[in-house]
Amino acid sequence: MSSVLRKQMFDHGPPSYAEVNRDVINALTTTTWRYWLTLGISASVALLFFIAPWIYQIIVGVGAAGMNRNAMWGTYLSNFIFWIGLSHSGTLLSAVLHITQSDWRKSIYRSAEAMTLFSLMTAALFVMVHVGRLWFVHWTFPVPNPMELWPNFRSPLMFDVMAILTYLTASSVFIYMGSLPDFAAVRDASKGLRRRIYAVLCFGWRGTAQEWHTLGWSYTFFAVLVIPLAVSVHSIVSWDFAMSTVPGLHQTIFAPYFVCGAIYSGTAGIVTVMWMLRRYMGFGRYIGKLHIDNLSKLLLVLSLIWTYINICELFTAWYADTSFENEAILYRIWEGPFWWLWWEMIAFCAFVPLLLFSRRIRQNWNLMLVISIVINIGMLTERFVIVASSLPRKFLPDVFGTYFPSLVEISITVGSFAVFTTLFLLFVKIFPAVSIYEVKETLAPLRKREASA
Amino acid sequence: MTLLASFAHEDTAVGAAAALREKGVEDFELFSPIPLHHADAAVGLGKSPVRVFTLAGALLGAVGGFALCVWTATRFLLPTAGRPIIALPPYLLITYETTILLGVLATLLGFFVVGRLPAWKDRAYRPASNVDRFVIAVAGASAGQAEEILRASGAESIERENAS
Repeated sequence: MSSVLRKQMFDHGPPSYAEVNRDVINALTTTTWRYWLTLGISASVALLFFIAPWIYQIIVGVGAAGMNRNAMWGTYLSNFIFWIGLSHSGTLLSAVLHITQSDWRKSIYRSAEAMTLFSLMTAALFVMVHVGRLWFVHWTFPVPNPMELWPNFRSPLMFDVMAILTYLTASSVFIYMGSLPDFAAVRDASKGLRRRIYAVLCFGWRGTAQEWHTLGWSYTFFAVLVIPLAVSVHSIVSWDFAMSTVPGLHQTIFAPYFVCGAIYSGTAGIVTVMWMLRRYMGFGRYIGKLHIDNLSKLLLVLSLIWTYINICELFTAWYADTSFENEAILYRIWEGPFWWLWWEMIAFCAFVPLLLFSRRIRQNWNLMLVISIVINIGMLTERFVIVASSLPRKFLPDVFGTYFPSLVEISITVGSFAVFTTLFLLFVKIFPAVSIYEVKETLAPLRKREASA
Repeated sequence: MTLLASFAHEDTAVGAAAALREKGVEDFELFSPIPLHHADAAVGLGKSPVRVFTLAGALLGAVGGFALCVWTATRFLLPTAGRPIIALPPYLLITYETTILLGVLATLLGFFVVGRLPAWKDRAYRPASNVDRFVIAVAGASAGQAEEILRASGAESIERENAS
């Protein structure tokens, strides 16, 4: 790694090896009352806005949601896509930048991967909420029913189950294996119960050349396997829609559209999380101008691709000029009840990010926080618009209807953010949120010859 | 008895490891706070056998995933609209996912087997080697011979530890 990049990575000068250990482990072990307050609030919100309405829905039945005979899919499904999408950037950022040896990733990737894992969990929760009868959720798994009839592997819903289970497994393994040496560092720096817990968690890691060698190889394999996996997961999610014949959903561009949107909203999510880590966990020394600048450039490129795909979608509809597709598009952007959400999404995800052409905006953390949240609001509504403006308008007018989310659905949507926050807050006290050994790799190597030269 | 030599610099530690191997001492371990990619040759590490696990797992996943689809579809024939019972495009998607799933799990297994983990027992270790020191541990009979070499290679300090 070049010394120029090394200088750029740390705004306040590079720390020493021992300081990296101290800072990261301190953030893990020192817990202020503010942390407990935040955790308490977010856990209560999760309980009140997510768990409680869910229990209510389980008791009275899925009719508590606004979904109906015409619109079988609603907010739950659009939130499911949103959370799955949010999960993409973590893995992709981490794995792609690992393969391309982009060293600036090293201080942010751990939290990005955690974001992946927890947004996946939140997404999985939405599947359970959506199916209504939670106790039959195993019907989605590849196991036979009592009559020995197996689920249909030709169905996109089945692809989805396989893809998401694989993704959940792979991203858990990916983040855990990458953290092993850091668990060992926490073990060495602590006493008592914490020491014993981390001694188990780190599998007795000692950092021998053999262990590093094996970890390096395995980690690269994980990265290589996870990249095509992440791309496949959101493509498959898009086929849940695109493989139907519903106008407005039956589009070949959906797979790249979803994957691009996923990375886009995920990168915005990472910016939000990084702001929090800097502000509340004291990682300002490790996450600096270089990171926000690079992340913002990535956001800018993704927003342009996203805009392009949106134009393509409209263009293909116009060019094909079939009455069903024309009506679907017109309903989505002009005549339907949610036309304003479509324009909001365009404003938030296509126009606001154009600000990122300016370096001064890119390097302004507070402004980037606002922009990243705005982008994710836009992406959340994008998914809602896709679901809510297509399914209630299939071919025949006698199945036309409208969909509007019920209070239960709105509350669960709000609550899901609290669920994610709670999980993430627990994460930062269990995992070292910045990778200790990989940050050290970016520091000047401890060499005698270079030091004397 | 185990000999633990501590180094402040990675190049001296790697140099010491190379010197040990040159003198025929093979029974040693090099601990470092960061992966030392250039040290692999000095401690005698080449391509990792983990890749065999990954390949085997991925192949097993590919065959297994496809077999799962075909086998389950032929247990109870459900023809729909004249579509093939064994349909390649959707089954290849399932195959794709299971290839990755078993590839990942086998790599994990490979990591544990090749890295000889988990090992929840007391072994020669200095916590400083996970902060900013490089430690070489020589075990057994060669410890006496090794002390000279390690000192000559610039060890900061050398400690003896009786194996438990």
